[in-house]
Amino acid sequence: MISVEDLTKKFGDITAVENISFNINESEIFGFLGPNGAGKTTTIRMLSTLISPTSGKIIIDNKDLQGKGEYIRSITGLLTESPGMYDKISAYDNLLYYSAFYDMPPSRRKDNIEKYLKMFDLWDRKDDLAGSYSKGMKQKLALSRALVHEPKILLLDEPTAGLDPESAHMVRNFIDSLKKEKITVFLCTHNLEEASYLSDRVCIINKKIIKVATLSELQNDDKNKRVEIVFADDAYRYLKIMEGIDKIKDITIDKNRAILVIEEPELSNPLIIRKLVKNGIKILYFNQVKVSLEEIYLDLVKNEGKK
Amino acid sequence: MKNAGIIFKKEIKEVIRNKNIWLPIIIITVIFSIGMPLFMIIGSESILRDEDTVNFITKMFGQVEDPLRVLIGFILKQLLIFLLVLPAMVPSLIAPSSVIMEKENQTLEPLLATPVKTSELLLGKSLTALVPAFVISTINFIILTLVVDIAAYLKLGYMPLPTAEWVIVAFLLSPILSFILTMASIIVSSRSTDIRSAQGIGAIIILPIYLIIGLQIAGFFLLNFIYLLVGCLVLLAVCPLVLRLAVKIFDRENILTRWKMKA
Repeated sequence: MISVEDLTKKFGDITAVENISFNINESEIFGFLGPNGAGKTTTIRMLSTLISPTSGKIIIDNKDLQGKGEYIRSITGLLTESPGMYDKISAYDNLLYYSAFYDMPPSRRKDNIEKYLKMFDLWDRKDDLAGSYSKGMKQKLALSRALVHEPKILLLDEPTAGLDPESAHMVRNFIDSLKKEKITVFLCTHNLEEASYLSDRVCIINKKIIKVATLSELQNDDKNKRVEIVFADDAYRYLKIMEGIDKIKDITIDKNRAILVIEEPELSNPLIIRKLVKNGIKILYFNQVKVSLEEIYLDLVKNEGKK
Repeated sequence: MKNAGIIFKKEIKEVIRNKNIWLPIIIITVIFSIGMPLFMIIGSESILRDEDTVNFITKMFGQVEDPLRVLIGFILKQLLIFLLVLPAMVPSLIAPSSVIMEKENQTLEPLLATPVKTSELLLGKSLTALVPAFVISTINFIILTLVVDIAAYLKLGYMPLPTAEWVIVAFLLSPILSFILTMASIIVSSRSTDIRSAQGIGAIIILPIYLIIGLQIAGFFLLNFIYLLVGCLVLLAVCPLVLRLAVKIFDRENILTRWKMKA
């Protein structure tokens, strides 16, 4: 549905994104993660044809973005980082105004406005000025705006920012449900828990792409495999022995628990256990630890920064 | 074109609701279209009793048969120039805020993400400034004509307006001026970062109009049919230039990234 090839955007001397490439399949939720200034908003702006790339190619729905801006904008819905509503007109009129630019029968537009305002619990306050809405309500209104014209692709920049936990949960469930409607979602977020819950694949970016993979691919990457050993007594007593085993790359100790990063864990684990037992160490448990996306992300971004 | 109409319809409602735009327009109308002409026509006979005024008329126009008619004609030419204030002022009140407010309220990005073309956005925004400018200056022209004619007829027994010069100012010079100032205001607001700077620069844009008014009052020249026609032709030649510049500057990327560059 979306294909990006060697995309670069420069603002004068500043490079916002450099040679990024990825593909997004139809009805896939694609998490786009990166630190501040990594180029997430620039990428979403290029995908929504708000700004043009310095070089590279974007193909959306089999159409090259170049010269097809209006078509692309007609099939995409954009949720911008800040909701941006006309404060002096009602919430309903805001949606009516934005949706008027799409080629859609007025009755269907109105039905969709009603559908989304009801879905996001805003229907009772539809005639209130948008300026009187709280930040969370505005965010839900902005999400309705992005959806009201039935887009094939949804570009979301921090969709749950500013929402209370209940609303955030509702929005997440809603985004998850979009898969059934075959809507492709490009999800920019800082919320790694949200990204791991929603995304079919994640892309970690810091001006350049660091990694594109599914969460399980990332977790099963040898670099991200961790082992937890629970000792019968204080783990610090065995630190020296563990440090002496060359297959162990990193050790984190908490009381009688040690978390180890191991090179080629499937091959090395039996050797490590044997060595520890040989040294008379009592091991209560030896478990594989599933690394969270947050840990993987921080690790990747940190390593990228060192390069 | 349909999208420009949607933008215009929404924007014009906001303009109509905005007291900050209407208040100066009403004040100017009351002063220049009602108060000043009434005062000058009613008081014209007493002005003529002043020896300096008679000397001034003789110096300017030579020996005239009907000094009162000449004086009224002169006063109306002075008022004529004030009629240019509104078509210049209205676009500079409306146009800068119509773009900058979108930037400040962060509504511009979602708007640009719709299928609206940049040219439609520019047209919609321009019409929002141009239509009120034309309507207001035409209404002013009508009010002034009625006030002057009724007062002059009752007091002096004839109706001096409209003249050919008035028609040129109201229906040719005013719309051209409004168009140029609208485009200039849009150029300024596309490049501005906040509403204050846009309105500040917008106020500077209309300074040449005040300069013309000042020069005429100071007696450097007196606008006549030929001057007005030449002025119109010169400004007409400027129109495509400002339009081209506005279209060039008012592009999606420019107005978005000039406002706030976010990576």
